[in-house]
Amino acid sequence: MKILITDDSKMARKMIVKSIKYTIGETDEIIEATNGEEAVNLYKEHNPTICFMDLTMPVKDGFDATLEICTFDKNAKIIIVSADIQEGSMKKAEENGAIGFIKKPVNPDNLKSMLETLGLI
Amino acid sequence: MKDKLTLDEDEIDCLQELMNISYGSATAAIAEIIDRFATLSIPHIRTASLEEFKEYFKNKLEENNSHYVTSQLINGTISGETMFIIGEESACNLGKEFDLEDDEIIEEELKDVVLEISNIITSTTLSRFSEQIEASITFSPPSIKVFQSSDEFNDSYVNEYNYIIIISTVIKFKEQNIKGELLILSKDDSILYIKEALNKVLDEY
Repeated sequence: MKILITDDSKMARKMIVKSIKYTIGETDEIIEATNGEEAVNLYKEHNPTICFMDLTMPVKDGFDATLEICTFDKNAKIIIVSADIQEGSMKKAEENGAIGFIKKPVNPDNLKSMLETLGLI
Repeated sequence: MKDKLTLDEDEIDCLQELMNISYGSATAAIAEIIDRFATLSIPHIRTASLEEFKEYFKNKLEENNSHYVTSQLINGTISGETMFIIGEESACNLGKEFDLEDDEIIEEELKDVVLEISNIITSTTLSRFSEQIEASITFSPPSIKVFQSSDEFNDSYVNEYNYIIIISTVIKFKEQNIKGELLILSKDDSILYIKEALNKVLDEY
């Protein structure tokens, strides 16, 4: 499984990596992006199985990056990982193509049940 | 001492992320109250001397003519002060979101609304933040002052701080044209505690 993690915070990316390792063990490849623009480019280059995407980021935010990736690939599996827990944000992310929403800080058990619900593990 | 109080790149990144989580909860609370969608900014963190902070604060006030500035003391494992700054136009628009009629858009009413909003933002953000770094804090009731210009910024204000971590986060309701900024100032011993707590978090990852 190839995973793309997008967050401007190094610590946030580490937290997600740790949760992924706890939840699904070792993965084939973990790719990291620090903003939405990088995420779009890396997605096109690597075609990952799942993307974890933050919303509030510099250069290009997670809403726009999600929309762009999902326009490029209708089967993209993007899970938003954000502290912005407003209903409006969740709705907008879903409209842009995200298939799931995890509140920060990431809880490994929540991540596991989300991936199970989505049939990704 | 200054070196001990300065945050390195990883510590700033960690603090930024913890504040992002904390402020996200506060924004959601406000968005729910006024049933509007808000945009979060990336928390901006910098350390500053008292003089630098005064300059920073005065610059904030110069952007518009009149500003409502609330201040709330925090005590406990972390001690310091939070300030919430909102321009007059934003304060008026916020008042309208709280169903104030045109004739009720007066300073006293607006002060009340801004105090309430500031209190929710501050207490939610700081409670969530202290929970993450295992700190225990209490809040004093917030006070509010209206600054007509930066000249009114009293030099004795915030004089008890030597070195300040400025954590600045903007909450923006684009459609309603409301923008406010939260500043968190912490005292030297609190900075040391925060640094230690951040390194504990960093060690976990």
